[in-house]
Amino acid sequence: MWTRLDRKERGPGFLHGQRTGWTAGSGGRASNRNPMLEGMYSAAAGMAAQQQRLDALSNDVANAGTIGYQRQRIAFRDLVYTPSGPGGQAGVMEGSGAAAVTIGRGGSGGSYKPTGSALDVAIEGDAYLQVRRPDGTNALTRNGALTLDVQRRLLADGLPLQPPVRIPEGVDENDISIAADGRVSAGDRQLGTITLFSVRAADRLLPVGGNLYVPTDASGPATRAGADAALRQGVVETSDVDLGDVMADMIVTQRAYQLASRAISTQDEMARVANEVKK
Amino acid sequence: MERGLYIAASGMLAEQVRQNQISHDLANASTAGYKADRSSQRAFGDLLLSNTATGAVVGPLGAGAQIAETVTDLSAQPLRVTDEPLDFAIEGDGFFAVRTDAGVRYTRNGAFTTGPGGILVDQLGNPVLTQNGQTIRVGSDGAVDPGRLGVFALNNAEKTGDSLFTGNPAGQADGRVTSGALEGSGVDPAKAMVEMIASLRSFEAGQKAIQTIDETLRKATTQVGTVTGF
Repeated sequence: MWTRLDRKERGPGFLHGQRTGWTAGSGGRASNRNPMLEGMYSAAAGMAAQQQRLDALSNDVANAGTIGYQRQRIAFRDLVYTPSGPGGQAGVMEGSGAAAVTIGRGGSGGSYKPTGSALDVAIEGDAYLQVRRPDGTNALTRNGALTLDVQRRLLADGLPLQPPVRIPEGVDENDISIAADGRVSAGDRQLGTITLFSVRAADRLLPVGGNLYVPTDASGPATRAGADAALRQGVVETSDVDLGDVMADMIVTQRAYQLASRAISTQDEMARVANEVKK
Repeated sequence: MERGLYIAASGMLAEQVRQNQISHDLANASTAGYKADRSSQRAFGDLLLSNTATGAVVGPLGAGAQIAETVTDLSAQPLRVTDEPLDFAIEGDGFFAVRTDAGVRYTRNGAFTTGPGGILVDQLGNPVLTQNGQTIRVGSDGAVDPGRLGVFALNNAEKTGDSLFTGNPAGQADGRVTSGALEGSGVDPAKAMVEMIASLRSFEAGQKAIQTIDETLRKATTQVGTVTGF
């Protein structure tokens, strides 16, 4: 997410179809630069940036119904400026396009939808459920639609909660009550506690698919959430994706993509004209 | 006569630079806080021609054109509401300040996020600064009071890439920071397209001039002196 590649790496990267992480470093241009192709690469970089945004928007649309999904934030920036070729006087600069980077997840949060199911919990506040993945590592999720497996362990996203909570045989699912602090009980019988976790910089969590996130150095480790995080039984948090907004963004993104592609075809036309100087 | 070839070629090179700049602008059509460039062309110094035999002045002769300077249009652009708590925009003049490895840089691109240690950073991880040059801690609700972000007036602002500007800070600017919005790009796509087409046609005109001069030269070398009928 934070990788910075030198611009010189862009040529081969472009040919091999790598899209993300095209950013300019401080190294400037390669010395054997071709002024005619520079504009094409600038426009291509702009197209790649728009493509990255389009990918993120598509992912948002696909997850418009995913419980606890938070939309991706993409930020654009312009790339390094270098002195122009022989057609400009000293001090005239040419930019080299645009780049996009994911800067975490949307922060506005979804709304809560009542389901009436005893095993559905919504997380209030910036906290997560922790689950144990099959490879033994932990991951975080905001998907509070809990289920039970054959060993009667509570699962979130199909993975056992960590620390685990087990519902004994004979306890009916509908009799389970989950308190705001996470204590699970059936009648006056205590069955365990669902622990909530939080990280320092939640939008720096690494999404690993399936609604799961893992902490990174940038996000900080997962620690027990403070008192402002709470569980609400019988409701789920909906996705914060607004389809109308996403559709509008997609149209804008596609138009911006087209603009950059027009720049490429114009540069191509200029190359043709230059080639025909000598008939 | 062959001087004309170079004059036409210099015009084509200048159009190439302009075209590269337009491509860059179009690539940044949706970059928040991007400021578009305006280029101006200038002729090289004119030569005064005189008749070598009599010394009589013939008149001036241009020596071609070059892009003389690029001016960045720093005027504020309309804001676009995003509802993201960590998107910021400046209404009016001024720049946000961020601390980079190379020193303090300035930006109008307010797509910020939470960085290591829970501080507000830009998209490359550079900490955003207050008016006093301190970092800003993101609250537990994931938001930041927009009033805490520094807004700096900047003299001689110059783009350096990565949405950053260098320049001489000149105290606080009168712009006001809003959260949940980003400043639109300064690129006007319609205008950029028109400039792109105009530039392409100028480029073609340069090509035609070269071809015509080439043709004249061909005639001079092959036809003059040919005595037809023998």
